[in-house]
Amino acid sequence: MFEYKDFLIEVDKFPLNVGPSHPATHGVLRVLVQLDGETVVYAEPIIGYLHTSMEKYAEFKTYHQAETITDRMDYVSAASNNLGYILAVEKLCGVKAPKRAEYIRVILAEFTRISSHLVWLGTHAVDIGALTEFLYCFRERELILDIIESVTGARMTPSFYRVGGLAMDIHKDFVDKARSFIKIFPDKVDEYEALLTKNKIWLERTKNLGVISAEDAIDFALTGPSLRGSGLKYDVRKANPYSSYEDFEFDIPVGDTGDVYDRYLVRMKEMRQSIKIIGQAIENIPEGEYLSYDEYPQYVIPPKKRALTTMEGMISLFKYGMDGIKPPKGEAYQAIENPRGELGFYLVSDGSAFPYRMRVRPPSFCNISALCKMTKGHLLADLIAIMGSVDILLGEVDR
Amino acid sequence: MDVLFALSVIKESMPKLVSSVDTSYGDIRIFTSKENIIDFARFLKDDSRLQLNMLSDLFAVDYPKKSERIEIIYNFYSTKNNFRVFAKTKSKIDEPNYPSLTPLYNSANWFEREVYDMFGLKFKGHPDLKRILNPDDWEGHPLLKDYPLRQRPPVEKMNFDTPGYIELDEITQKP
Repeated sequence: MFEYKDFLIEVDKFPLNVGPSHPATHGVLRVLVQLDGETVVYAEPIIGYLHTSMEKYAEFKTYHQAETITDRMDYVSAASNNLGYILAVEKLCGVKAPKRAEYIRVILAEFTRISSHLVWLGTHAVDIGALTEFLYCFRERELILDIIESVTGARMTPSFYRVGGLAMDIHKDFVDKARSFIKIFPDKVDEYEALLTKNKIWLERTKNLGVISAEDAIDFALTGPSLRGSGLKYDVRKANPYSSYEDFEFDIPVGDTGDVYDRYLVRMKEMRQSIKIIGQAIENIPEGEYLSYDEYPQYVIPPKKRALTTMEGMISLFKYGMDGIKPPKGEAYQAIENPRGELGFYLVSDGSAFPYRMRVRPPSFCNISALCKMTKGHLLADLIAIMGSVDILLGEVDR
Repeated sequence: MDVLFALSVIKESMPKLVSSVDTSYGDIRIFTSKENIIDFARFLKDDSRLQLNMLSDLFAVDYPKKSERIEIIYNFYSTKNNFRVFAKTKSKIDEPNYPSLTPLYNSANWFEREVYDMFGLKFKGHPDLKRILNPDDWEGHPLLKDYPLRQRPPVEKMNFDTPGYIELDEITQKP
């Protein structure tokens, strides 16, 4: 028989597992929480449930095949990840894409940034209890996925970029769709903000919660909106411009206290800035080639039309498919601004057609490592809000 | 501020710690030794001209033909001066005295756990060195070049009884 004392638990150090399969972890994250009553004393994220060893796989793929791994890493903002990888390979080969390709890359990367932030906003709001927001966000995300599909052929995993340019040129339908989206989207952001920004429940659930100071954020190597929410103006697009970002005018929104509400505001403002960048890019797309095949024939795939109509193009396409590209020996690092932070690719080449080592500098991995610092002393229900606000994606944390 | 200026500052103040320098592809990579990496990192962090306050990344590359086969690469970034410095060291896999950077940078904690998980290098002085991406009972270190891409233990050897959860006493890092 059980006695009464068997049912007593020590309230001041009560362990609780949140996840790995929990609706608020957006994937398979497990957080081991030690509770005192309902207050979090210590929270340790335990990761690796989605580990597929993508860095190892990339060593067995040619440089272009490895691109398809990168968009499965961060499947919500795939075009951004492809951009980082392709820019790193281009740096290794010494190839520069034509201006037209760079502008189209920027447009796609910014569209993915908006769609990623919409997924974040919808799910984060659901976690805290604002269920309506989710439906609005996914309505507009569908439009963006349609636009991406119309030009790349895939909704989630485009792999549309090639070394030295793009797989295809864009068409008029894409430009029209993008223009009409730019027209409607600022009003939609107003709609989202009308539901949340001054909502009293939202303020009470997010203000002064999960505060992290700028010094701590730097110490934990946080990047992206999680760092900018703490008031530090660091954005790779401005600090080290890549892919013609220096041509566009945009601001970097920053918060001041570094709580959940600030990170929310930063992301909302970022969506407006992204629309501004897309607007400037789509009106100023330069004419010309979309692949720099003429300048770097040994590294760049020939455009489809030339491959099918000229003998040289055919031979070079065949060589390209059979041998792959062989960058010179060396190491190159390229960082880009992913929706979640600074995504870096460090490639080591040994002169063969396969990358010797592909290292991904994962933004979500660093962002979630500060969870213990952010949640200490808060309620268990607030842990969910804080976890949502750092915007992690487990595919990229675990790689 | 220019990266080459940073390089000249480092070479001027710390000539003993720099063994060679590589400036290809617009980045600077400084080779140093594992005994000096703590001093080197502290200098980068504290020097008023450099202020490399963020350890942005830490990872390793395996060169199996060399005697010291693991090359550890540190990626320091300065949010104030906006430049990046890579530092490189070499080590054997079973090196007992490889120093940990966790006292200087909190971000080194998870990065070093990942290097341990993938390469088997044990960092001395790390507060909580255990596997991070692979399961705790995993054999081998996957990112070594001699680890095969596809290999699975036979079904008889798989342990299906292992519980998914660990108890609180197993947390080594107490608050």
